[in-house]
Formats: sequence, structure tokens, C-alpha cells
Amino acid sequence: MRNLLFTLSFVTTLATAMPVNAADVAAGKAKAELCAGCHGENGISQMENIPSLAGQPDQFIQWQLVFFRGGARKSEQMQPIVEQIDNEDIRNFGAYFASLTPPKATKPDDDPDLSQKGAQAAVGRRCASCHTDTFAGTKAVARLAGQREEYLLKALHDYKAGVRSGGGVAAMADVAYPLSEEEITALAHYLSHL
Amino acid sequence: MKSAFNRSIFAFAAILAVGTAGQAAAQDKPLKKYESGTKEFWTHPPDDWFLGDETEAQKGLAPPSGPPTGASEAELASLVKKIKLPPGFKIEVYAPGVLAARQMAWGDKGTLFVGSFGLGNVYAIKDNGGKKEVKTIIKGMNPPMPTGIAFKDGALYVINVNKLIRYDNAEDNLDKLGDGKVVYDDMPSYAAHGWKYLAADKDGWFYIPFGPPFNIGIPPTSVSQIRRVDPKTGNAELVGLGVRNSVGGDVDPRTGKYWFTENARDWMSDDTPSDKLNIISKVGEHFGYPYCHQGDMPDPKFAMGHTCSEFTPPVLNLGAHVAPLGMKFYTGNQFPAEYKNSILIAEHGSWNRHKYQGGRIVRVTADPDGKNAKETTFAEGWIEGAQGYLGRPDDIILDKDGSILVADDWAGAIYRISYSK
Repeated sequence: MRNLLFTLSFVTTLATAMPVNAADVAAGKAKAELCAGCHGENGISQMENIPSLAGQPDQFIQWQLVFFRGGARKSEQMQPIVEQIDNEDIRNFGAYFASLTPPKATKPDDDPDLSQKGAQAAVGRRCASCHTDTFAGTKAVARLAGQREEYLLKALHDYKAGVRSGGGVAAMADVAYPLSEEEITALAHYLSHL
Repeated sequence: MKSAFNRSIFAFAAILAVGTAGQAAAQDKPLKKYESGTKEFWTHPPDDWFLGDETEAQKGLAPPSGPPTGASEAELASLVKKIKLPPGFKIEVYAPGVLAARQMAWGDKGTLFVGSFGLGNVYAIKDNGGKKEVKTIIKGMNPPMPTGIAFKDGALYVINVNKLIRYDNAEDNLDKLGDGKVVYDDMPSYAAHGWKYLAADKDGWFYIPFGPPFNIGIPPTSVSQIRRVDPKTGNAELVGLGVRNSVGGDVDPRTGKYWFTENARDWMSDDTPSDKLNIISKVGEHFGYPYCHQGDMPDPKFAMGHTCSEFTPPVLNLGAHVAPLGMKFYTGNQFPAEYKNSILIAEHGSWNRHKYQGGRIVRVTADPDGKNAKETTFAEGWIEGAQGYLGRPDDIILDKDGSILVADDWAGAIYRISYSK
């Protein structure tokens, strides 16, 4: 728990370890009609509590789908979807959503003070050590920049309550557990306006 | 408990490989050091528990993360072409899409059951007119570590860290396996090195390994051992002590004795200590951990006055960081006669080494008492470059026709290796 944020900086990147990416962006796009109803056209969600997927790292998308399918991450909405997709689909979704232009905040920041508090909280909790300095995410770690504010709130609350599992849950459970409501509010506001 | 399991998932199943910024930052960090000899550490290991006792020489090394969906069929087709085998042998893909595949077991009616690491899945593979159909028959196990499985008297057995579960009449109920019945649970819930393997002997008892919940330290008394467990009654005996992380073993068809592979401690160097192949010759033998490694190397911190001569030496040192996991005595008739009663060992390969090794299958021949042990490489080619995996073999099982099947949790596939003159 104490050291969890250091963990990731020790993890060696093994670019050479991955086989040549044979995923098919076009096939992912075609199949992504399944997703667009909730996650929006071009992977930008217009729906409350539904995350945008555009610009999420390829591996992050793939892992989450694998976790939904295997039951490690539970969601009533996602369950019937993942039952319809195979590994090839998952690889193609990863490639497709990663290829899309990430979301940008649509409105100007209406509370810069809150954003500043969020930025401080992000430094204090060392979010960037996994999510990268621009919060664009990398590999299996999610993009946070430009994500819907109320979804970020939901995700942080789910982690804090131990409701969400799958993937980086250990790190996030430990990070979110001590967060105050004020910090959560500030972080969500700050990250969604990046 | 829940969060401890979650940490372990994080640590091994989905290590988040971060960018170069992270690597650069690692250069400035002090060496990691843990006081792992506390119950708090065993029940709540830090996410990076396996990074314990880091050394300057090995700094920055960590388990790599495989592709989330394994290798595609096209990737597998090109992969098997790169595997080198002795003359007359052939490797092919038996089944793709078996994500995080671990121990395999045959049902009586020809179903191949496969456990998994980190995903909580157990698979059943059926032959469907020549095409292999992979069904996920158990999903979302918590903890997600059903690595060890066995099949006996119509029942599928799954061992998941601290529970041995029996699913009766499994082959007729692949679509509705139910929750099964816990038949043995006198096991600690420590997640780290808590994943297990099952090897049945002629009496129907299972040999089960218990790893310590850290790299090196004085282990909890409930682990660092091999037990022999009767799944009918839940009776158990302690047959081997001083064992680090073992995830493979088999009963010698010549003698009935249990042989097992053992992963040695990390964070000493690239070339020491060696992983081992052991044999239990008498009940209660001590194999040295944490006092002595590879039969002749006292631990710099935990030898605590012990000498290596106090402990049972290995049958064979297999090499440092080769990670020997599943193993089988070859009892089939398809391979050349000299393979009879050889041991085939699936080596998962390194992470705590600058240039990976292992990631292959080796063949060991030895007398029934363990003397005259010799090792040769049987199948290799899963490692590319210094630290690149195409796949990582982790278990072996014989097929009825005398060919062998090999599980690979990186590529998420089962291979078949056969021989013809």
C-alpha cells in the first residue's frame, strides 16, 4: 500500500515482447456499432455515467473487455455485449478506439480554483506516475484527460468503495481508499477539463 | 483478504507496463527492501511484493505483461514455425484462445480441462469434428487463480489458492457445472505464490505445493511445503519442507515417488541461484528454503547458521530464472524409445534476468533414485531478443496417442507436439 505508486515506475516496458499487432482498425470500427449507442459516435460519450473510449490506450480497452467477459469486472450493461464478441473483436476494438481523437472538454472551466485543487491532489497522489504526465494513459492504464466529469466521480467512488475490480484495481483501490470527497470532486473536475 | 488477492492479480496478471518516463524515474529511486516476515505482509502484500530485496544489479526488472487476448491465429501460425525440435518431431496449434492457460487434465470422455492464471477461468476443450471448441466452464472465480486442476472418477477438481473444489460428473455438465463442493480448505489465503498445482498418485491423493508469500524470508509455517491430500476425506500429510515456489510435479511411474520443480529466489543475480528439480524420497524431507539454495549456496541473510549439508540437494539444477513449472514423465509409445520415463518440463522463462532464458521445454533423464540426471533442450524458440516473449510454456500433458500437449499462458494457446519416423 505504501509503495504502490512506485510500482509502476519500476515496471520495465517490453516493447519487443509484443507480437506484431495484427488488429484491424476498420473491422473494429464496423463492429463498434455495438458500442456507439452508449459510448457515443467516434467513442465520445454523450451519456451520463458512460465513459468516452476515444483515445484510450489499446491495451486498456482490451484488458477491460477481457475482465468484463471473465466476470472480474462486473457491469449489467456490458455483460450482454461481451458475450457477443471474440478475441479478434477485442483486439480490433483496442486498435480502433485507440486510433480515435480523444475527447476535449466542451465547456470552458467554470471553476478554475477547483481545478487547481484537483491538480494539487493529482500531484499529491502521484496519479501521473501511472497515467502519465498528460493523463493520456499508456498500455493497460486508462486515459483520464477529457473524460466525463461525472464518470470520473463514479469511477473514483467505485474504487474507493471496493465495487470496481479488474486490472489496476489494486493500485486504484489503494489510491482511492484514503481520498476525501473534496479531493475526489476536485480530481474529477480537473481531469475532465484537461 | 479481498484486497490482498486483488494485489496479486495486479502484480502478475495485469502488470501495467508503463512508458519510458517511468523507466527513467526508476533510475533515481532507492533499492526496494521489505520486512516480509510479518503477518501483515503475508495478508496484505504490497503490489510490488515480488520486487522485494532488490539489488543494484537486478534493479528495474519486473514481470512482463502478456497480450490481453493472447496471440491471434495468424500470430500462432507464424510462432510455431519458429519452434525448434529434435528431428522427427512436429509442433502445431492444438487450440487458440485459451487465455492465460495453465494446468491441463483429461476427462474420461475426451474433454481437455484447462486452468488459468489471473483470469478466474476454467476451460473445457472438446473436439468438434476436428475443430477444437473452447468453452469457458467456470468464470470470475475469486481469487482469479484456478491454476491447478485434475480429473478423477468423473469429477473435475480445481484448486484456487485456499480451496480444493470438486465438480461431480463434470463432463456431462459442461454448461451447468454449478458451484462444486469444497473438499479441502485447510490452506492459508495468502495470495502471493498461493497459486497451486495438482498431481494425483495411485491412491488418488493429490500432491499439492504451497509457496511462501514473498521472495525470501522465514515463511509462515503453513507454507513452503508439499502436502499430500486425500480429496475423499480431507486428510493430509506434510511430505516435503523447505520448498519455495513449486508449480509442477509428477509421480514417477517407476517408483511412485513424487518429483517436483521449484523456482528459486530472485534478486541475487542473473546466474544464481539455480531453479531445481527435486524428488521426495522420504516423508518430511527438507529442501533448503530459505536457508540454502541450489544445494550449495547458503542464503546471504537467511542461512542463519545452517549449512547446505543439512538439506536434501536437488536431483538437478535447471539454471537460474528458467522458471520450471508443469512437468510429466513421458509414458507414451509414440516418441522414440529413449524418451520412455524421461521427464519433460515446461519452463516459463525469466523476468528477473537481463537476458531471458527458459521459455522452452527441456527433457531430463535420471535413474529412479535421481542419480545420473541429465538435461537436454527439447523445444525452444519462444523467446526473441533479450526480453521478448512469443509465448511461455507452463504445463505438459500426454495425449492418448502418445503425443504431448503444451499449455502457454502468454499466447493463450495449447500446442501439440508429435513424433513420426
